[in-house]
Amino acid sequence: MSEMNRKWYSGMTRTEDWWAVWLGSMMFLASIGSLWGLDLTGWMAKPGTWVWGAFSLDAALKPSGYENWHPFLSWLTTYLVFTSLTCLAAAAMKLDLKRFFAGWSILFVLTWVIWVIGQEAHFKVPFNEFEKYGLSWGLSLGGGFSYLLALSVGLIIGNFFKGTADFLMEAAKPEWFIKTAIVFLGIKIGIMSIEATGFITELVMTGVAATFVAYMLFWPIVYVLGRKVFRLSRDAAAVLSSGISICGVSAAIATAGAIRARPVLPVVVSILVVIFAMFELIILPGLYTAIAPNQPIVNGSALGLTVKTDGADAAAGAMLDELMRANAEANLGVVWKEGWILMASLTTKIWIDMFIGVWAFVLALVWVYKVERKAGQSRIGPMEIWHRFPKFVLGYLLVWFSYVMLASTGTETAEALNQTAAAVEGPMRNMMFMLTFVSIGVITDFSKLKGMGKLALLYAVALFGIIAPIAYGVAWIFHRGMMPPSL
Amino acid sequence: MKFDLEVRLAHDGDKWIAYHPDFEACGQSLAELDQDLTRCLLDRQLFPENSHVTIFMAFDHNCIPTWIRQYAYHYFNRHIRLNLKSASLKTQ
Repeated sequence: MSEMNRKWYSGMTRTEDWWAVWLGSMMFLASIGSLWGLDLTGWMAKPGTWVWGAFSLDAALKPSGYENWHPFLSWLTTYLVFTSLTCLAAAAMKLDLKRFFAGWSILFVLTWVIWVIGQEAHFKVPFNEFEKYGLSWGLSLGGGFSYLLALSVGLIIGNFFKGTADFLMEAAKPEWFIKTAIVFLGIKIGIMSIEATGFITELVMTGVAATFVAYMLFWPIVYVLGRKVFRLSRDAAAVLSSGISICGVSAAIATAGAIRARPVLPVVVSILVVIFAMFELIILPGLYTAIAPNQPIVNGSALGLTVKTDGADAAAGAMLDELMRANAEANLGVVWKEGWILMASLTTKIWIDMFIGVWAFVLALVWVYKVERKAGQSRIGPMEIWHRFPKFVLGYLLVWFSYVMLASTGTETAEALNQTAAAVEGPMRNMMFMLTFVSIGVITDFSKLKGMGKLALLYAVALFGIIAPIAYGVAWIFHRGMMPPSL
Repeated sequence: MKFDLEVRLAHDGDKWIAYHPDFEACGQSLAELDQDLTRCLLDRQLFPENSHVTIFMAFDHNCIPTWIRQYAYHYFNRHIRLNLKSASLKTQ
């Protein structure tokens, strides 16, 4: 049976992109209950810091708002709420519901076990809090250790336990999880917009510049390299250029569709994008923290320009945020507010994402009228722009602007909203990040690089020789010296 | 928009194929596919010779692996207009 996309509303109930909007909006709406005195998000569980040798469930697991709830009841409610919602979405997306439920449940439990382990004080707490926890040593990695652990466990499953990875594949959906987390982040940027309007304005303006760099600089350079040096066909060079320069898999598919390329091309490029994104996720946060520990926003923005999937970019941004803040606290003596480095990375990336529809439309016109020169053969409609638009961005913008409008009506309203929205923007968002880290590892099989030869070489050369250095230079020009607010 | 004919467009890894209950047209490139489609329509006399036929080709997402569909639910659909000339099998 074929699946056809005919209408503007195609996909609203059957794509992860739209379900990220629905899940994110539902939780945001629940948080608005506080305006009428209802705490509809206080059941959400969150992990707490604990010390080896003195483990207690009360310290390691807590409810976000319902203080008299047992930690396990809070965790169970979290599981039931998110399992019901994701299974509803999985059924609408026509996934294998039994396999999704089983895979989701395993991923959920695994994620929480890793998350709680990652909160152990020796791994997490900063140098200046050693005394508080009675520590003689520690790694001071902040929340970054949980992310590293989640990624490592995911990669071990994905590469050494392939039967298990296949079983979990139905539920391991990093793009869905991260897009839902990004919609939750709309609250965070709403709070930031009120706290520091100038900072957010500057990030948005840089996002515009980053978009120009990605489409007008990276894309032509990689295309010419592919054509002249690697002798790729026009369609292969175009699909690869979009995948590596713009926004990864979705750009590769959008471009391939726009130029009517054989479906095998975006599939091959997508495999490269996903696997190389993993290298970027592993290497770049630590590298940037080491080489420029006092340039947090430059580093965040450079990640947004370099890492080519939303999942890996947000994951790398979150890891960079944790590593840089932990390092700054230990070595620079400054405590930066959480989330600002991540936001620099995400804002840059989201701007680039938003224009993929326009770019695909332009490429479609160029291909029909200039490359194939068969102008009368096919009709290109502007509806293509809508079909390619990343819908989760709508959810992110909706939550952002709604939060700002509601919180701007008065101090009391803002305070009430902050109390319940904190559970969505904090533990719910972090849980989706953790699920992303585990899932992205599970679906990454490095052995798939075998046989990719020329395309893989071009990808590596372009990414590390062209994209990453230029991205860093651009981020440096726009953001050098910018600092997140301190606590 | 109304079309004279609707077909399902797929790629089997080697060639493009247009599926219709009455025929299957195929070609290595889309231009070759359109030529073969013209031939099929003329052979089966579904439309009179020398007429213009508008065709909607709905891309079949089943030729893209399931894991990749999450990134974009729209690959492409084609709207084409064929001039059914048996002599040249020329597309417009």
